[in-house]
Amino acid sequence: MARDLSLLIPEMLLAMTVVLMLVSEMLRAPRLALGIGVIGLGLATALTLPLLETDTSVFGGTYRIDLLSAWAKLILLPGTALALMMARAEIAGKDREGSVYALLCLVTLGALMLSGGGDMMMLVLGVVLTGLGSFALVAWPRDDPATEAAMKYLVFGSVTGSVMIYGLSFWFGGTGSTLFSELGLLEGSTLIALAGLIAVLIGLGYKAALVPFQFWAPDAYDGAPVSVAAYLSVITKVAAIFAFAQILRDLPVGTGWPMVVALIAAVTMTFGYLAALVQSNVVRLLAYSSVAQAGYFMMGIVDLGPGSLALPSVIVFGAAYVAMNLGAFAVIMVAGRSLGDFRGFGRARPVIGVAMVVFLLSLTGIPPLFGFVGKVLLFGAAIKAGYLWLAVIGILNSVLALAVYLRIVVPMYQPREAGQDSAALAPPLMIVLGATALVTLFMGLFAGVFPG
Amino acid sequence: MPLLSLSVFLPLLGGLLLMALPGKSARTAHGISIATTGLTFLVTLAIWTRGTLPGGFAQIEEIAWIPAIGAAYRLGIDGLSLPLILMTSLLFFLSSIYAARITDRPAVFVVLMLMLETASIGTFAALDALLFYVFFEVSLVGMYFMIVGWGYEERQRAGLMFFIYTLLGSLPLLLAIIGLYLATGSFDMRLWIDTPPLTGLTAMLALIAMLFTFAVKIPAFPVHTWLPAAHVQAPTVGSVILAGVMLKFGTYGLIRFALQMTPEAFVQAGQVVLAFGVFSAIYGAFAALAQSDLKKMIAYTSVNHMGYVVMAVAVAALTIDADLRAVALNGATLQMVSHGIVTGALFFLVGMLQSRAHSRKMAGFGGLLGQVPWLGWAFILSAFASLGLPGLAHFPAEFQIFLATLNAQPWAIVAIVAIVITAGLYLRAIAAVFLGESNGKWADMPDLDRSEKLAIVPLLVLIVLIGVAPSWLLGMMDTTMRALQF
Repeated sequence: MARDLSLLIPEMLLAMTVVLMLVSEMLRAPRLALGIGVIGLGLATALTLPLLETDTSVFGGTYRIDLLSAWAKLILLPGTALALMMARAEIAGKDREGSVYALLCLVTLGALMLSGGGDMMMLVLGVVLTGLGSFALVAWPRDDPATEAAMKYLVFGSVTGSVMIYGLSFWFGGTGSTLFSELGLLEGSTLIALAGLIAVLIGLGYKAALVPFQFWAPDAYDGAPVSVAAYLSVITKVAAIFAFAQILRDLPVGTGWPMVVALIAAVTMTFGYLAALVQSNVVRLLAYSSVAQAGYFMMGIVDLGPGSLALPSVIVFGAAYVAMNLGAFAVIMVAGRSLGDFRGFGRARPVIGVAMVVFLLSLTGIPPLFGFVGKVLLFGAAIKAGYLWLAVIGILNSVLALAVYLRIVVPMYQPREAGQDSAALAPPLMIVLGATALVTLFMGLFAGVFPG
Repeated sequence: MPLLSLSVFLPLLGGLLLMALPGKSARTAHGISIATTGLTFLVTLAIWTRGTLPGGFAQIEEIAWIPAIGAAYRLGIDGLSLPLILMTSLLFFLSSIYAARITDRPAVFVVLMLMLETASIGTFAALDALLFYVFFEVSLVGMYFMIVGWGYEERQRAGLMFFIYTLLGSLPLLLAIIGLYLATGSFDMRLWIDTPPLTGLTAMLALIAMLFTFAVKIPAFPVHTWLPAAHVQAPTVGSVILAGVMLKFGTYGLIRFALQMTPEAFVQAGQVVLAFGVFSAIYGAFAALAQSDLKKMIAYTSVNHMGYVVMAVAVAALTIDADLRAVALNGATLQMVSHGIVTGALFFLVGMLQSRAHSRKMAGFGGLLGQVPWLGWAFILSAFASLGLPGLAHFPAEFQIFLATLNAQPWAIVAIVAIVITAGLYLRAIAAVFLGESNGKWADMPDLDRSEKLAIVPLLVLIVLIGVAPSWLLGMMDTTMRALQF
């Protein structure tokens, strides 16, 4: 028991942090809540480092302390801290400010449970915990678009969540256990395996915004504050991808799940970029782009297995994606939500303009940026698993991606129209932009620190 | 001292220095640019004096990068890359001299140009496939922003087309690289060259992917269509770098990757590659003949000249006679260098003409030779070199290519038709622009000023020098080409 708890120190620390943040919100001290949040997240990150080499599980195999869950903490916790600062820049001084900070950290706790879950119950818990907090976060502005978006998000989430629980009962029936590590028993009973697989694809696919469960994403991102949209587009998505990796690596390949995942990956990235191509609202454009990026993630999942490139590729691309997508959203907070707001932005604000170009090129996968390293590994994983066609589709979509992202870059360097003014740069936002830009620019050169 | 790394990163350092400086005036920007590229040129000369080794790479520099997947920072040169590196650093040096007249956001322009130099030298010097790909792609980004920021009327469209087209072109190479990596567990290009890891169908697939990438870059028919648009809209320095340096990525990759890493498949596909080369050469010449825009015409002659290089590489793959093979590959490499220098000079000259007249239409000029003798004679000399006149830069290269072709694959000699066409189109252009009735409109056109002469004269000297005495360059290439294993 003591051993189990000692392995859970980062998670418990985060839970404590959330409680303290709620208390300070009750005391009407949002800045204190923010401070506690950032410090708690930083501490939890630091306390994860000693666990990096651990590969075990706690509480009877229901929660895994392994490479994936350790890296989830190292990626998601700092990512959440950055999101907190973005939220601060956006909603400072507004009503119920502290609850946003507390909810963000709470959702991250759920995200950690998703990426470490080794049991169906843990999966359900993670889905519910991330879901509940996210609905409230989207509804936070309390205006019509936000309420509508949150309702859509909630209804969609409840339905997919229920379907997932129903489907998981097939796996439970088939193996007699709720542990994922027992899924190997399904070897041969393809129908049962597929029924559960479809359920998981629905439940987590909704979280990761995979096609065809992506409908909520553009509305929710657009209705929510930009910082919340940024948060949802990276933290819950990456957590859902990691959860896929935790679950599917125990499912026998003989059930044909890699093919199903490969098809979804191909459809998701193609649809995401095609839809992004016609958006004129930058938040919606990035929403569809993050749908497409989820498809790229799934390319890596296809290769799960011993000695595979799947885990390194989703971890590296996860880290890159968190940095570059948060950065891009942070630039939107400065420039504005409409594509027209970006006209001449690069000339008026040269440094932030260059940062945006870096984020977008990294999202495209142009070397030597961080996103490129991740994509190389993802392509490598797909080819290694024997899905050359999927890598080819991924590569064709990279071209589409360039067309999508250049739609933002091109107007940035056109002459600015009179009367256009972009928001001032708040200090927290400066930190976010600096950190994400540095990671996006230089982490590719130091990719050796990641597991391979 | 790691001279190779120095030559690769010196330009980048110069760019960073410029970015860090407060209050950048045009003078400081261009001063730093000229100093950095000049210094880089000197470093590459020092690399030249260190020399190459026969049958392998020399001056290797290696640092671990991502050890987990066998990617490392590996640089090195041989007789194929060294001449191209020298040509690259020279062209960038001259470009920075010519670019000193740019007053629109000069600091940004200079940073982009220096970034391009790092990417270009890096592409030729990289011995790690992932690193090669990094440099290869960074050059696209730099060139895109150069076209979009400083180009002519339709620069947005041309830049977009260039970026998307060439990105689509280069991604198949990434697939091939990943395929080679999965077969060996390393990105070390030397390993792949020494013992080509792929065989059979996978090798053929990898070859097709690589051929597609390099055909777009070269550019060869039918994937050359981005070239005229990009060239015509690019600023002068952009055109010089694009034609002089970046097209060579394609032909360099054709030898370094396609021929050396998938040799068996290349031999099997040799006739097809040869046919594409021949067709490109002839097509490029005819397409150039049809142009009325001077810059577009020169752009199409690049398709023609690069077609000869493709032919030569295919001939080398198809022949088993070692001497003939060396002749073909020497010709191909010399052709790359000659084309960089001759076409670089031509694009400089057209840019100089355009900055005076604001027009590139041949029909609008006439009798300029008396008005601007420096510009006129320099153009005539470069044009004669481009059409393959003996004694000038392209002749020794094309002579060797046709010699090898005639011996190994006689049918392909039909490409020689293209030389006649090229001669015709250049003579027509010279007659239209520089000879004939003087057009009163240009009576006050000034001749080349000092910095323009500085940019163009070294190229003219080299054109004659390579034409008359190519042996100093050929010697550099020959040892490597003879030892080339495939």
